[in-house]
Amino acid sequence: MLNSLIMIIPTLTGLFMHNYFCHGRMSALRRTGLLFVYGVLVSCSMSVIARTRGIKGIGIAYMTLSHKIEFTLLGCVMSFGMALGLCIVIEKNVTIKKFKMYLSRFFCDIRKYFKYAVKSAKADLRSEVANAYLDWLWWLIEPFCMMLIYTLIFGVVFNASEPFFPIFIFSGLAMWTFFSRGMNISVNIVRSNKSIISKIYLPKFILYFARMLVNGFKMLVSFAIVVIMLIVFKVPVSLKVLYILPVMLVFFLFTFGMGSILMHFGVYVNDLSYIVGIVLSMLMYFTGTFYAVGKRIPAPFGELLEQFNPVAYCIASMRNAVLYNTSPQVDLLIMWGLVSIMLSAIGVYTIYRNENAYVKVI
Amino acid sequence: MEHRETAIEVKNVCINYRIMKNVTVRHNLFQRHSREETFEAVKNVSFTVEKGGILGVIGKNGSGKSTLLRAIAGVFSPNSGSIDLKGHTVSLMALGVGFKENLTGRDNISLSGMLLGFREDQIQDKMQDIIDFAEIGDFIDRPVRTYSSGMHSKLAFAITAMLETDIMLVDEVLSVGDERFKKKSLGKMKELITDRNRTVIIVSHNIDTLRSLCDEVMWIHDGELKEMGRPAEVLEHYVEFMNH
Repeated sequence: MLNSLIMIIPTLTGLFMHNYFCHGRMSALRRTGLLFVYGVLVSCSMSVIARTRGIKGIGIAYMTLSHKIEFTLLGCVMSFGMALGLCIVIEKNVTIKKFKMYLSRFFCDIRKYFKYAVKSAKADLRSEVANAYLDWLWWLIEPFCMMLIYTLIFGVVFNASEPFFPIFIFSGLAMWTFFSRGMNISVNIVRSNKSIISKIYLPKFILYFARMLVNGFKMLVSFAIVVIMLIVFKVPVSLKVLYILPVMLVFFLFTFGMGSILMHFGVYVNDLSYIVGIVLSMLMYFTGTFYAVGKRIPAPFGELLEQFNPVAYCIASMRNAVLYNTSPQVDLLIMWGLVSIMLSAIGVYTIYRNENAYVKVI
Repeated sequence: MEHRETAIEVKNVCINYRIMKNVTVRHNLFQRHSREETFEAVKNVSFTVEKGGILGVIGKNGSGKSTLLRAIAGVFSPNSGSIDLKGHTVSLMALGVGFKENLTGRDNISLSGMLLGFREDQIQDKMQDIIDFAEIGDFIDRPVRTYSSGMHSKLAFAITAMLETDIMLVDEVLSVGDERFKKKSLGKMKELITDRNRTVIIVSHNIDTLRSLCDEVMWIHDGELKEMGRPAEVLEHYVEFMNH
């Protein structure tokens, strides 16, 4: 029974995206027809993929759970692409021209407002420390103290030691803070910049992008400490460390995608920030900021959580690359990269379509 | 009158406000089919302004003047119709300017300038002029949240007045501050407005100002363009209408 979800979830994703691209104006008949079309498309492409992997037919019965989820995710990414393609072919209001227009508009805006975002991030950073006694030292002190607290509690009280535990916690914490701050900010970002956006046009995701730069800088400072700690603890480091570059790219894209989607809903739903807060604190414990999810949670679930929670996956891969000289699972990394691009695309598209109305609502 | 190129072309513009109460999650989940009402703030308005022209806009409160101005400034785009600025840069001058409260005055000047489409070196050139004009002294390097409301509006005025854009949209602000600054800002404003290369749209309730400054006046009533033409005539009709 559950196995059929491998097909059903991607099919529904395809239908949902199709519905979204043509602005939700669809008759029931058309919807049923499309459901069927997507079902066929998904199962066809799935079996093609299975065949290229050397399996004849999809042997669902022999797959491990993690393979199944991987397949489902892959299906979702594919059905996103298929929905886009199918919409271009059969819907009148979705055309390649429009798609290109959005794409070029996005890159145009990024190029045009990049300087603004950087300047705004710099000014924000400067203002944060302008009136503090220890000014920029706080960027070092704060994560460092958090690390001490967590090392003490989880290392001593809960006995959750990993090799190089302080660095383990510190690096995980740096990434987690980047993500959670991003989410918390994105919900309220349009509201809190009301004074600017009611005066002048700027693509609204630039506001979030600028905040991400601020958080990213703080994360970089934390990573500078990680480097120092690596030297102090004499951690053997190999060239595999370079894997953190693609991992970070995926992580950044994922944060951007999720944030831009949340940002849109945050405008309309006043109390979304409570939900985000709850989900984030739950996610924090499932992400393994202070323990290795893969090892601590009993057998199939620990690994699943680590691989299919993108934040946990990025953090684990980063730790593996930096601390334990292991390379990440490349296929999963590519997959999460695709999912992140998909999320970012949805987010940016949503913002472009709705940003006009933001000023009128807040 | 010699033929001049148009700077602003507004064609059949309609702007709706969806009266959407800010929903909460509870509302979303349990009252799915809340009806959305739309309110037409601007209905099918078309006009053109020549380059260097000064257009006054008059109308009673809530008739859609500011909405139209914000649409021209690009804050939101119209629901239907088109606004063509022929590639000119535009700035909107309204009470209360978009400052980031935590940043210093200086940072805010650069950020506003960048959003208005100026390059960084251009802003640096103008920086001292702006600071001098605003007359806020050492406060320029303190966060904007510490400013008094007077300083706030003086800085805002100085930014839009000194960073000169091709098109200026003025919403009820012809002067700000105390008596002395008022005189100075009004003088600057007149200088800016009468520059033959600058296109200006002024929204005001002050009939005398409009009569003395504008080439043309547009009267908007309940979102519709009621009359447009020579200042003297339109303003006379308007006054007549309002006194009725």
